[in-house]
Amino acid sequence: MPDHLTLMTLHALLIAVYFAFLWKHGRRERWLYFWKVFGALMVGAVALGWLMYFFPRP
Amino acid sequence: MADQNPAAGPEPASRLPLSLLLAFGWLVPGLGHLLLRRRLRAAVFFTVIMVAFVVGILLQGELILPRAGDPLSYVAAIAIIGNGVPFFAARYLGLGHGVVTAASYEFGNTFLLTAGMMNLLLLLDIFEIYRGHKEW
Repeated sequence: MPDHLTLMTLHALLIAVYFAFLWKHGRRERWLYFWKVFGALMVGAVALGWLMYFFPRP
Repeated sequence: MADQNPAAGPEPASRLPLSLLLAFGWLVPGLGHLLLRRRLRAAVFFTVIMVAFVVGILLQGELILPRAGDPLSYVAAIAIIGNGVPFFAARYLGLGHGVVTAASYEFGNTFLLTAGMMNLLLLLDIFEIYRGHKEW
């Protein structure tokens, strides 16, 4: 099984492509939106992962 | 004549009735957009949804169906069945039983649920294009 980061990256990639084509028109707008969504998902997931260190396992 | 009546609104983007477009769009990801002559977007949506679905199956995800006493399974089933033909094909081939003990099980579910929800969201897009609310 691929590692978690690879799967998360693939998932973020698919979501970003999907919404870029669903909501935006034109190459430039789509690229911009793709990177925004992709970046937000990746950075957000890593940030949330780090925040979880403050919540120890029961 | 109806086509000269300004109150009639914009002309539909396809000769097919909306119900058929929605049905085709649900059954095959991207087909609704293809019938509305949005070829690039149809290809992208088909590819994205199929990749997500196949990855979900490969990761031992489960094609969740409603289970008595589990209200969330009903919601999940709507998303899963939203995949259309890929869902029925996978069921027919005996795939997607889900291996709860597999490390990738939850990842697989996430991909399968996401694929179904993306396909269902496309139906709203088909509706908007058909009604002339979205020109591209």
